[in-house]
Amino acid sequence: MKPSRTFRHGGIRVEIGCDWEQKKTVQNAFLPNGAVILLKQHTGRQARCVVRRGEYVREGMVIGRADGPLSANVHASIPGIVRDIRVTALPEGGQAEAVVIALEGSFDRLGRREERYLWSSMGCNEILATIRDKGVVDTEEPGLPLFDILSEKKDIELLFVNAIESEPYLKAEACLLRDKGEEVMDGVAILRKVLSPKRTILASSGERPENLPLAREGAPAEEAEIEYFDLEPIYPQDMPRQLLEAVSGQKQGDALFIRPSTAYAVHEAVVHGKPMVERYVSIAGGALKRPEVLKARIGTPIGDLIEECGGFLGPPARLVLRGALRGHSVHDLDVPVTKTTSAVIALDSEEVGFLWRSPCIRCGRCAKACPERLDPDMLFRLVERGLTSRALGLGLGSCTACGACSYICPARVPLVAAFSAELRTLADAIGDGDSSGGDQGRIR
Amino acid sequence: MTSGKTLTLGNAPFVFDKRTTSSLMWGVSLSLLPAIAWGFFCFGAPAAIIVCTSILGALVGEAASSALRRRFTLWDGSAFLTGLLVGMAMPPDISPFIPAVAALFATVVVKGAFGGLGTNWMNPALAGIAFALVNWPTEMSRWTLPNRLSDVISVSGATPMGVARTQGGGLAALTSSATDSSVTTALNQGLFSRLGAQLPGGYVDLALGNKSGALGELSGILILAASIVLLARKVIRWEIPASIVVSFALLTWAFGGLVIGDGFFSGDVLFAIFSGSFLLVAFFMAPDPVTSPSSRLGMILYGMGIGTITFLFRAFGSRSEGTAFAVLLMDCSVPAISRLDAAMSRWRASRTPAPNGIDARGRSRAR
Repeated sequence: MKPSRTFRHGGIRVEIGCDWEQKKTVQNAFLPNGAVILLKQHTGRQARCVVRRGEYVREGMVIGRADGPLSANVHASIPGIVRDIRVTALPEGGQAEAVVIALEGSFDRLGRREERYLWSSMGCNEILATIRDKGVVDTEEPGLPLFDILSEKKDIELLFVNAIESEPYLKAEACLLRDKGEEVMDGVAILRKVLSPKRTILASSGERPENLPLAREGAPAEEAEIEYFDLEPIYPQDMPRQLLEAVSGQKQGDALFIRPSTAYAVHEAVVHGKPMVERYVSIAGGALKRPEVLKARIGTPIGDLIEECGGFLGPPARLVLRGALRGHSVHDLDVPVTKTTSAVIALDSEEVGFLWRSPCIRCGRCAKACPERLDPDMLFRLVERGLTSRALGLGLGSCTACGACSYICPARVPLVAAFSAELRTLADAIGDGDSSGGDQGRIR
Repeated sequence: MTSGKTLTLGNAPFVFDKRTTSSLMWGVSLSLLPAIAWGFFCFGAPAAIIVCTSILGALVGEAASSALRRRFTLWDGSAFLTGLLVGMAMPPDISPFIPAVAALFATVVVKGAFGGLGTNWMNPALAGIAFALVNWPTEMSRWTLPNRLSDVISVSGATPMGVARTQGGGLAALTSSATDSSVTTALNQGLFSRLGAQLPGGYVDLALGNKSGALGELSGILILAASIVLLARKVIRWEIPASIVVSFALLTWAFGGLVIGDGFFSGDVLFAIFSGSFLLVAFFMAPDPVTSPSSRLGMILYGMGIGTITFLFRAFGSRSEGTAFAVLLMDCSVPAISRLDAAMSRWRASRTPAPNGIDARGRSRAR
């Protein structure tokens, strides 16, 4: 076993939110009585709605067709009647249509024997078509459709399966790798067939390799070539450049980074013909009675999941989706789970802590925490005064909005909020109409 | 579960490190308590009155200047710390009026007038001390021996550094206490004899604080212990104190002997470090983040400057002490150091490709 490694510069050790564990096997969440399925759970344009109000939809039926590049199919996660098709606000900003399905009728898949296709006899194009058909997207925000990633990348250097949860509260990827290791590795094998990477790396933290599905007895030869790295879960140890630096010391490379949940979705789609209608969600936070990882159907309102975890201990101070450091806060419990909802976090007021902003004392903690070696303090002063070009000269463009600077700041200066707002304005100014502009970081 | 309950929204991140500016400030004040307690123990009630009036002066000044800025900043701990540090630098029998005015000057003129915490360019505590040194030079250099060193209360006695300067003899001119001789003997027999070295008498008094001097600066050991705690908890950064101590020690060792007529490389480093306000300034005042550079290179340059200037002041200045003025001088050079930092980070930014696709000139990278 190789010793724990990490990236070179910056990073923070987050102490909050790491004190829970998911010991038992992940359970299926209760099926929701009504599912709200967003037609935009991916980067590109929202999917074109192909159902009408009052129509009966079967489990796994296409309800939204991909509309152009970077768009993806959306499927019904439960059988039932389409009650409504309405425009709703997305947690990350913007609006999209959503199909509201009331649970009714019988299940086509649940409780029945799964189909099984032998992917080794399938051609690459056939696999790609299945992945597109089943609406598989990258399970990390912003949900880049996997078909678009795969058709762009061929013969890459490195396929990186990243099972590290460096943000606090998140456990879903690690649980998935533990519970469904073989399926995940099967998904990785499918991706390797399509991509034919020179190297494949699986990285996680604090796991013993013998517990991982790496070296199974009688495993096919191609599985044996996967290298395992044990990386320190220093935040943000899940960003491409940091991961690459941790395993190879290089800053750039021709690599594809995926999460175990994406590989699992590939396995489900290709082997079982199952569309992407469920995912693992961590439901955590100090305001919850029993934090847990659940396998939830897409479209389940987060309130249902919270209820299944015993409800709130007290009034939550913040309700956050996807991560306490990079996520989005939401203001009600009706927000549905999407393909990229890795977590629902209910923070109590103690965890949110003291938010009163005090003057910056130039303590330099932000610069020490920045994984991109920037000086957030200086950048903030420039951005505040509208001197964007000078801020860009000091490297504002390399800010990944990881939030390490804001986390560590003892004066609670809203550093990353200012940077991401500025970067959004810039990206809008540059790439009007070029919707792929902001997504290069994910597939680089 | 009732739906539709409205919750506060916000920007990421949603969790924070538990430390806030005020908790850092109060932590520093707390760590200085043992050193102050030793001062109270040596000099009794007058020392306590001096420190209290100094803190009071700083708090009044902070309250006044923060009221003018319509902000309430009294409990962020910074004014308390300023008052504490000013009080610690005072001779033990000075009129309490002087530290109060010095602390008031520190918070109103040096800090408040420039916009309060975070915007002052000069270290408030040191500026207050310098204010007192310049305005009341005789009062600020009238020293008494600690009660425990003499049978009579309040015997005047020069500081070890003053003695070394006027009589040119270093520690030899000082009478050492019984504690000193017993500890020195024990150290010499138990430790130094095995290493083939010998510790002369007097250093133990110097380090423990059995000497005359400013009421908070007596015990170098207690100040060092406090700074080790703060360094370990990452409240203060190591770069500035380390570069001050290293540059000052090297210069003293190399050239310190010349001043009293000895040759090169014969300076008394231990004596120089443990006398006067050196340790308190190096570990508690110079690393003030507001007035020091924030990059590692900048901090090391800043610290080396302080160490060098302190040595020059002590060797050739008109007073035996010079640390306060050394830090204030280097505070003036911080803008120049910051410009160097900015040039460094521009250079770094020009070499690193932007991961989110926006390069240094605000253009999107071609695909």
